[in-house]
Amino acid sequence: MIDQSLLTGKNVIVQGITGSHGSFHARAMKSSGTHVVAGTSPSKSGQLVDDIPVYTSITEIQKYFQVDISVIFVPPAHAKGAILEAITAKVPLVVCITEGIPIHDMLQIKQHLEKGSSVLIGPNCPGVLVPGRNKLGIIPAHLALPGSVGVVSRSGTLTYEVVDGLTRRGIGQKYVIGIGGDRIAGTSFIDCLELFQNDPAVDRIVMIGEIGGTSEIEAADYIKSSVTKPVYAYITGHSAPSGVQLGHAGAILGSADESASAKTDYLERCGAITASNITALIDSL
Amino acid sequence: MKILEYEAKKILGLHSIAVPDSYIVTNGSEPGFLPAVIKSQVPIGGRGKAGGIKVVTTATEFQQATKHIRTLPIKGFVPTTLLAETLIDIDRELYLSLLINKQHASIVLMAHRSGGIEVEDNKAEDFLRVTVDGKNSIQAGEKLAEYFDLPDQTFVLQDLVTNLYDCFIKNDVELLEINPLIYTTDHHLVAGDCKMILDDAASFRHPEWQFEAEKTEANFVTLNEQGTVATIANGAGLAMATVDAVVDAGLVPANFLDIGGGANEASVLAAFQKIMEYPNIQVIIINIFAGITRCDEIANAIIAAKSHIPDLPPLYIRLAGTNFEKAVQLLADQNIPTLATLADCVTAAQKDSV
Repeated sequence: MIDQSLLTGKNVIVQGITGSHGSFHARAMKSSGTHVVAGTSPSKSGQLVDDIPVYTSITEIQKYFQVDISVIFVPPAHAKGAILEAITAKVPLVVCITEGIPIHDMLQIKQHLEKGSSVLIGPNCPGVLVPGRNKLGIIPAHLALPGSVGVVSRSGTLTYEVVDGLTRRGIGQKYVIGIGGDRIAGTSFIDCLELFQNDPAVDRIVMIGEIGGTSEIEAADYIKSSVTKPVYAYITGHSAPSGVQLGHAGAILGSADESASAKTDYLERCGAITASNITALIDSL
Repeated sequence: MKILEYEAKKILGLHSIAVPDSYIVTNGSEPGFLPAVIKSQVPIGGRGKAGGIKVVTTATEFQQATKHIRTLPIKGFVPTTLLAETLIDIDRELYLSLLINKQHASIVLMAHRSGGIEVEDNKAEDFLRVTVDGKNSIQAGEKLAEYFDLPDQTFVLQDLVTNLYDCFIKNDVELLEINPLIYTTDHHLVAGDCKMILDDAASFRHPEWQFEAEKTEANFVTLNEQGTVATIANGAGLAMATVDAVVDAGLVPANFLDIGGGANEASVLAAFQKIMEYPNIQVIIINIFAGITRCDEIANAIIAAKSHIPDLPPLYIRLAGTNFEKAVQLLADQNIPTLATLADCVTAAQKDSV
């Protein structure tokens, strides 16, 4: 379960801080006000990325700082090791941006998550933005406006599109969470819907899904049973041909129930307000 | 990545799972042994019905059958490889598979007493399902023996489960299906056919992966050859949303294209060239919302495409996110305008499409 304090945790580290994505986005996180205290790199300990110190491991960082959140940018071949390191070090929140982690690695990671105390968001996701508080990942912070909408999305770039669209209309966001497009992920739609439902500062919810898989169907059941706040939903891929993989791992259309229209209909029946394109969704709020 | 039967069976063999004796039929070659079953190696089911599997007993039959099957298209696939296998005396055809339950992040063994080509006709609830974790192979094998009603095969089935699990893990398999699993008249269990899907994402740790199948290009998909609107976007979700918006505006999109996070000048240029092969393109919509991508790199790619590709149709470009200001300036310097939103691009495309 995700609670509010997890996302607003103070001390943030970046695993893989010396890579090109890691260093670029560590700087961006820091310049948007996130408290990035340190980073890890297996071979570049002792260096600085701007003024952020680099260590070999999380355990070493923990000698100097309490670590509340880790954001992971390491390449897929080393991502399992990085996530397990964070779980072992009991980092409360782990956000993994890395795309292309093998599914068998995720099976192992899920087992460790069940035994450990960490919460994982991602992988293959843009991370979390709590406008005005924390930028944990790659969502461009300047797009956002602090406010009261909770946004949860399986798609990275569509997340930006929604945040940008809402901000343009003067509608601010309390949370923006990209849960990632992979078939096995740390955090589900339901975890985020629960957070939004329980936080009195959230008054409306935006949910962006994709073709393929059944997580939107499970989310719809949860909306029906447990969410009283209005949910605005868009499932991307209405025009997708069946059986063809579109882009990343999650977006492959298998059975008829996994199509955008089937999911949209089901969400509608469960009480969500739906749209057939992203502009219409933003306009409907 | 779905691999072919003979490739999958080779992997099974390496994990001590029984497969029929076989040889690969090369063009113009003599039979390795006879009688044999000649099987077309295409990545699709229904080979038997389509005439892609033939039993041969003489050298003449062998030549005729291989010549025929080699050029026989099955649902659009023509084989490059033919597999010849020894004939098996079948007592029963069973079904056995291992797959990943994504919802529960677990590995599941599925079985049915009645395997073969009609396995899908069985009721879903009649399949035996056992979650396997590498530690319960003994129990899972016992359950299988009981379910198949083959008590004298308990040890064999326990070994089979152990070996299948090992094969599944070590080869980064997403789906392993043995259908039929043949119980022979002389009481052996042999993999009659095998369908195997491997996880492309794991290829970095499998230098041994050399298969006929090409890595599937998921990022460029033709939706309609005759479409009038081409789309370029980054991220699968945004690319699908761009196509959805085009369709909702009453226009016909030709393609889905996700240029991905690591987009650079060369990959974007290649995308433009592919798009230009469609006969009816009237406009190209470029919708980039950069997080990990950097807009200025995309802008440079667009400028390069403009100078390399003559007769480019009108481009409606929407750039946002990382390094957006830089990108807009770069484009403005070349007199290439940009639009503020996807909706603006679609509206502009509507005006051009009469």
